[in-house]
Parts: sequence; C-alpha cells; structure tokens
Amino acid sequence: MAPSAIISQHAPLSAAQESINISKSALKESPHPDYLHHLATSILHNLQYQHSWTSLTIHTHSSMDSAPLPRPMISGLPPRRAYIHPDEQAAIIKAEHDRGEMIEQKPEREWVLPSHIKEKWTLNGFASVFRTISVVPPGDSGSNEEDEEDVEESPVGDQWQGENRQKRLLLATLDGDSTVTYYIMHGGIVKPRQN
Amino acid sequence: MSHSSELVVEPIPISLVSDRYLVYDIDVVTHLRRTHHICGVLLGGIPQAPQQNVFQGLPLELLPEEAKLLVEKEAAYIVDDIAWHEDFYTTLRGAERQKYLGSLRAQGLKAKQTANANARQRTEKALSRQAVLRASKSSASSREPSGDDPSVVVPAESSDAFNQGEPDALDNTVSESLFDRDGPVSPALSETSVRPSSKASDSVEPLAITPSTSYSPSSLPENPTQQADPLVPSSYALFAHLHARKYFMMPGLRFGCDYNVYPGDPLRFHSHFLATSYEWNEPIAMLDLVGGGRLGTGVKKGFLIGGQDLDSNSEGDGVQTFVLEWAGM
Repeated sequence: MAPSAIISQHAPLSAAQESINISKSALKESPHPDYLHHLATSILHNLQYQHSWTSLTIHTHSSMDSAPLPRPMISGLPPRRAYIHPDEQAAIIKAEHDRGEMIEQKPEREWVLPSHIKEKWTLNGFASVFRTISVVPPGDSGSNEEDEEDVEESPVGDQWQGENRQKRLLLATLDGDSTVTYYIMHGGIVKPRQN
Repeated sequence: MSHSSELVVEPIPISLVSDRYLVYDIDVVTHLRRTHHICGVLLGGIPQAPQQNVFQGLPLELLPEEAKLLVEKEAAYIVDDIAWHEDFYTTLRGAERQKYLGSLRAQGLKAKQTANANARQRTEKALSRQAVLRASKSSASSREPSGDDPSVVVPAESSDAFNQGEPDALDNTVSESLFDRDGPVSPALSETSVRPSSKASDSVEPLAITPSTSYSPSSLPENPTQQADPLVPSSYALFAHLHARKYFMMPGLRFGCDYNVYPGDPLRFHSHFLATSYEWNEPIAMLDLVGGGRLGTGVKKGFLIGGQDLDSNSEGDGVQTFVLEWAGM
C-alpha cells in the first residue's frame, strides 16, 4: 500500500495503475490469486491502448458451467478480424471475384489467455483452458441490430465463423518491460494461413 | 510403377543394423511411401561420388517411430541383421551354397557382358572418329607441300606424329581409347577381373560384384516368432496421432522440432506444421512457444504442440494438439 500512496501524492496515476486499482474490489471474492488478476489487467491495458480492442471483459468463471476458469481470461473485439482460416480466405477471394466487389469482414470476439514470459505452461494447462471456454466468448459481438435484416442466409465463410469456428484463443505473453506478444492458439490441428 | 506394390509382400522385413532401421529394396521403399505414407531418409552415398550427397540412394533409414508403427500395423517386422547374417552364412552348405554362388556368378557375368558391350561401342565410336580425323589430315597435308617449298615433302605420317604432340589435336580420342578396353572397372576389382588388355576385349570372366544386399529378401525368416519392439522416443504418440490423420512426417532438425508434418507426399507438398511433442505435464517454457510460433509463421507453417494424456478416459489415443500462429500484433 505504501508505495502507491506515495506515488498518488506526487503524480497522477498511470493508466495501468488506475485499472489495477479499479480491479482491486473484484479481487476480494475472486478464486484466483492477485498476481493473475494483475497480469490480466496488464494485458487488457495493452489490448485497449496499443491494439485498439473494444468491449473488453475479464472473465473469472466459465460461461458454460460457472466453474472458475484456470485463471482470469479476457475477451474482446479486435478492430479487424484477428484470424481468417485459409480455406475461408480462398472462399472470400473467389466470392469477391464472382461478385466483383469487396466483402466486408466484421471482427469477431476473441478469447485472450494472459501469460507471463517467466511462466511454465503444460499441455494439461492448455487443455483445461480449452475445456472451460466456449467457442465464441460471451458478450458484445459488435454487430448492430439494424444490420440484422440484410444479413445473408449463409454468408461467405460462415462455416469458419461464429459457433462453427474451431476453438481458439490468443495467447498473450507479457515480458518484464511490458512488451506483449500475441499468438493465435487453435485447439486441434488447423492448417496454417498462407501469409 | 503400379506393379511395384504388387511385388512387395507384407509383412516387410526391416533390417536392424547397429540401432538403425534400414530398408534395402527400392520396391519396398516406394511401397512404404505410397501405401503407408512412410518416407524415411535415404542415406546411401553414390560409390563413385560420395561427396555428391544431394542425391542419396539406398538404403533407406526409418525413424524408430516409423519402424514401430509399421510393426504395430503388422505391415513389417524387424530382423536383427547381424544375427541373421551369421546364422545364414554358417549354415549355408551344399546345394544351397552352390545355388547362392551361382547367382552371384550370374550377376557378375551379366555385369561383365554389359561392360564389354559398352566398351566395344565406345571403341568403335572412337575409331571411326579417328578415321575421319586422319582422312581430313592426310588430304590437308597432301595439299600443303604444293603451296610451300616443293623440295621439302612432309610425309603424312610424320605430320600425324607431330599433331599428336599438340594438346588439343587428338586429345579426345586418345583419352577415350585409354579406357575403352575394360569398361568401368573399379581398381578394387582389378585382381580378379582386369586382365591384360589384349585378351580383355573378348573376356567373359564375370566381374566380382558386391551385391547391395547379402541375401535375397525371400531367404529372410517369413514369420519371426520373436518380435523386436523398436525403442521409440516419447514423441511416438504424437507421431502416430498425426500419421493416423494421413499426414506425412519427416525429421524436424531443420526447423528445430520433432517432426516436419506434411499434408501429403513431401515431394508434392510444403509442410504445414513444425510438430513438437511434450509430455502431458511437462513444463513448457513460454519462450519456446513464442520462438516456435514465430519461426513457424516465418516459414508459412504452424507450430504444433501435442502430447498424450495417459489418464484420458475418452476414446481414442488421448493425444491433444494445439497449433500456434503469430497473431500479427
């Protein structure tokens, strides 16, 4: 408590410190240790201010059975689609060629698993995370209500989107200097994108 | 090509020589590749050009995982080559022995006849070329004196002798005729097969050959009672998991992983994944995931990690896999 008290007397709080302070009330009844909350908060901060994600939420319990998640996880809406399956990409290009117009790609809500570079994970750990998360994170999907009527019956790439997609998350790894790297992690075998 | 698979009778013998699983038969190699999508690694050097190891030949070395998989599918069995070799040659007597020696002699004879035919062809070619050269020379030299001092007549033969001293005049013909008598005979065989050149041209003495296998596959034990179970690394479960999903695996050294995973024959496809196996509760350093993910994305592949949950009570092999790709942010 003492250090943060000193800082608050002399300078305004940093955005990260503010968001950590805000989350303090949630820590009391949380099943997870504080440092995991702080880790999630740091990643959320990075997503929000460096990568312009929106509708960010920290989840502590599974949306499927309300059991605690292995650690607090983040879900949010990236500014553009975070992942397009290579087959979907091919289908989009083909459809765009046939129609002669660009097909707008709406971002999808993604899971983010916070981790720290000094940690050791196991396959078991990853498997338990994938077991407890739903395919699509609950929450604001970013689609506006008024758009709903002109939604096609089966839009291009539908079989790779929404509930049809393979379970995935973004593995966010934080280093001591607050650098965060993001890797897409698929549950199961998913062929690579043609970057 | 389609007939080669029919020549191969399963189970296939795999030779175990100093902890390596080797296949010596090209028909078996293609059969394994086509039917079982097992590639192995060719490791035989070309005898005349051991440094040209871009083009490796037989034998094919199988990974222990590949050998075990074939044994488990009952498509192959392991033969301890040294034990079998000793057993085979110490008991080789009488008619069996004569038959074996006869087959060696027949192969040597065939090789010699081919070599002789080639040599004869080359000699004829060289001689005809020499004749053409000589004809043009003699016509040129017969015209020469008329232009020069008429008192000095250069005989055609001496002009030939003079020309032979020149480096470029008859070099081709001379160097070829140096070798055309005995054909391609390696120096190691010279004692038995190279004889004085005057007699060699009509010689039918068989070449001393070194067979690529020391016995025909049919002489191997048909139904081995004691099944050697290849010792495999802990990544075998992941290997079998991917193999069962019709992927082709190659050794992963070049990308620092356990296996390069191809969606089809590696001669036709680029690999999709760099696969590394972990035990279910083995600690994985985050830096390894970041490094593998970044390397994989850099070479347009996914970094695949996976392993077997030994306590899994779901049906199947209990192997779970995850694929990492750089998220581009």
